[in-house]
Amino acid sequence: MNKQPKTAVILCTCSGIITEKIDWDTVRAQLAEHPDTPVVTTDELACGAENLEKLATWLKEEKPERVVVAACSPREHERTFRTLLASAGINPYYLQMINVREQVAWVTADPAQATRKAARLIGAALKRVQHHRPLVERHVPVRTDVAVIGAGPAGIQAALTLARAGRMVTLIEREPFFGGMPVRFEELFPNLECGPCLLEPGMGELLHGPESERIKLLTLAEVTEVKGSFGNWQLSLRQQPRYVDPELCIGCMVCAAVCPERRENPWNCGGELAAVDGPFVGALPNLPHVDAGRCLKLNGQECGACLAECPLEGALDFDDTIRDSVVEVGAIIVATGAEELPVVPPTFASKDNVFSAYAFERLLAMTGPSGGELVKGDGSAPASLAIVQCAGSFDDAVTYCSGTCCQAALKYAHIAGAKQEGLTVTRLIREQVVPGINAARLFSHDHSHVVRYDGLGDLTLAETPNGRVIVCGSNGAEVPADMIVLCGPTVPGSGTTQTARLLELGLDDAGFIAPIHALSGSFLSPLKGVYLAGTCRGPGDIREAFASGTAAAGVALSELVEGRDLTVDPQVAVVDAEQCAGCKSCIRVCPYKAISWDEGTKAADISDILCRGCGTCVAVCPAGAITAQGFSRAMLRAEIEGVVS
Amino acid sequence: MSCQTMPNVAPHPATKEVEAGVPGEVRIVAFLCNWCSYAGADKTGMNQLPVPAELSVVRVMCSGRVEPTLILETFQKGADGVMVLACHPGDCHYKEGNLRAFCRAELLERMMPQLGVDPARFYFDYVSAAEAEKFSQVTNDFVASIRALGDTAPGR
Repeated sequence: MNKQPKTAVILCTCSGIITEKIDWDTVRAQLAEHPDTPVVTTDELACGAENLEKLATWLKEEKPERVVVAACSPREHERTFRTLLASAGINPYYLQMINVREQVAWVTADPAQATRKAARLIGAALKRVQHHRPLVERHVPVRTDVAVIGAGPAGIQAALTLARAGRMVTLIEREPFFGGMPVRFEELFPNLECGPCLLEPGMGELLHGPESERIKLLTLAEVTEVKGSFGNWQLSLRQQPRYVDPELCIGCMVCAAVCPERRENPWNCGGELAAVDGPFVGALPNLPHVDAGRCLKLNGQECGACLAECPLEGALDFDDTIRDSVVEVGAIIVATGAEELPVVPPTFASKDNVFSAYAFERLLAMTGPSGGELVKGDGSAPASLAIVQCAGSFDDAVTYCSGTCCQAALKYAHIAGAKQEGLTVTRLIREQVVPGINAARLFSHDHSHVVRYDGLGDLTLAETPNGRVIVCGSNGAEVPADMIVLCGPTVPGSGTTQTARLLELGLDDAGFIAPIHALSGSFLSPLKGVYLAGTCRGPGDIREAFASGTAAAGVALSELVEGRDLTVDPQVAVVDAEQCAGCKSCIRVCPYKAISWDEGTKAADISDILCRGCGTCVAVCPAGAITAQGFSRAMLRAEIEGVVS
Repeated sequence: MSCQTMPNVAPHPATKEVEAGVPGEVRIVAFLCNWCSYAGADKTGMNQLPVPAELSVVRVMCSGRVEPTLILETFQKGADGVMVLACHPGDCHYKEGNLRAFCRAELLERMMPQLGVDPARFYFDYVSAAEAEKFSQVTNDFVASIRALGDTAPGR
């Protein structure tokens, strides 16, 4: 007695293309003898709309429990025929497609051989489908709120894009102010527009505009833990006390004026701040913060100078404490940025008037330590400026070109030359990369001398009657260098490294967060629901930051839609907890961190949301406890048996 | 003598029904990953390049899904040759499944002589979605080499 579930076979001729090589009549004659007695129909073009209707009617009449379709590649029409099964009231995963067009008819010269191969593959499919299981797509509600980590241009742009679409955004920034790097740059490459002016409209919109209702900006805040998965993330946050109530403070900075204590200004690479102060003029939000390490009052001494002068009672809040909180969001955008690696070769160490690129940016800025005056440490004007590009790039530690310091160097040469007439500017280069139409304008107007050098080891400093010079050992060039800028390579910011660790994201060779694909998915991390923006992905300029911020927000908007549940593909791996031996091999090999250890069942547990169904865990499990649904061992064994028997 | 150099690989005992097999035709199973090598096989069809009729493709989502025991079972069930074709290194749709498949293939090739199967009957390679010519080439070459080695169970 035949106990096998009834199976239907659909043989497509593909408008005669398949039947040029495969004789379906011969195959049908063989199927008529098949022990499973499948019902068979031949269709001229099974994927055609009318044909699909007819086939649905046929399936409804025949009421098979399994369906084999011999047609084209499943990569092309598996979805079409799954939908056909569903429309006939059959579970769509009871389908098996045989690719007789691309992989038989089109590659086999002899029709007899092609027909025999098609019959063999159909025989295997008939065995395989007996082991198919009904699978159901699961629907999971998702949160549509988004957390953005890092409030530089990329993070700001992402947050604004999301908020304009009506999304609630938590924007998390570690510094006491936001705007990232360029908000501290006086002028930007290539058009020399003012950095704060470029960013402040967006920053203002975020703080005071209509979008401010949907964006919660948290400064002095860091992410300490991340749990969950796509659509349902939980971020634990820790916010350091500012000791200033942002609701009350009006940012008059009277407190800073009367504070008796001083500290170094890390954001200016020079100059001082009061213990209660703003980082630099114009920093937003316009609020001072108290350095708890330096404030006399917080260190038990008698002081209340700021409290006495503050015009708003309660604005200074010395009872402020660390605040821990949890935000629940559907997606995370990482925009934690990059920083300049400070590279100072021994010959330049502890010499005066040697700047990193960042320190030089601040020196040129009106909000910087010298108020924008191009002056040396002793207050005098330099006669010469040497800009050392590629400082530390192309060597063993940093092998790559950051792609932005040529831009910066051209800008420095231009601004410094404009600030001081007669300044001798020399750019020392190893390579020069200035692509783009906009860049050409600044490049073609550059009046600097250009000297090629051969790595930092090639350079020494010497004093001559005409002042200090950099000597290039390889070519003997002597470059006047009253003032020196070392343009260090762009490396991952510490926030990027920390966030990658929290999210268990892989890093590329340079330590930046590795996207899922360098070309087609540079805004996507391999973790579903975690998107990347700005220079956490690698060195880049401000245009890149804006573009990638918009892109990451766009991906979040397209993947998390209000009222649209997440559809979980059921063709994922599942663990039989009874059989799991607890070796955790699967957890180690899963490329998507989809597998976790369940202490309750003492077994591995696979999140169907994160699993992408590759089956690597199935292959690695020594206990055979994992099944790839849709590609189970039983299915593959049956298929193999079918093709070799 | 090292196990790896052990000559004289005896045909393994194959018990099978004599139903669909055609005398003189070898049976080759190729495990192809959905994203690269299976797509490459489709491309081979679009380019109308020849693929041996003896080759039977088993589609898997990732070459990393194909465990060595499944390959050995395939031999046990009567295959005369088994291929595993994967995405090129760096191109894996699942990041690194192809490299795991490669490691497993290396290991399997070393184990095969001890299990009585000639390692020449197993072939691992990388075929991209664009490499139609390569797919045609490697499948024809492999099937020809298996034809030369002969059927694993000549008596069947």
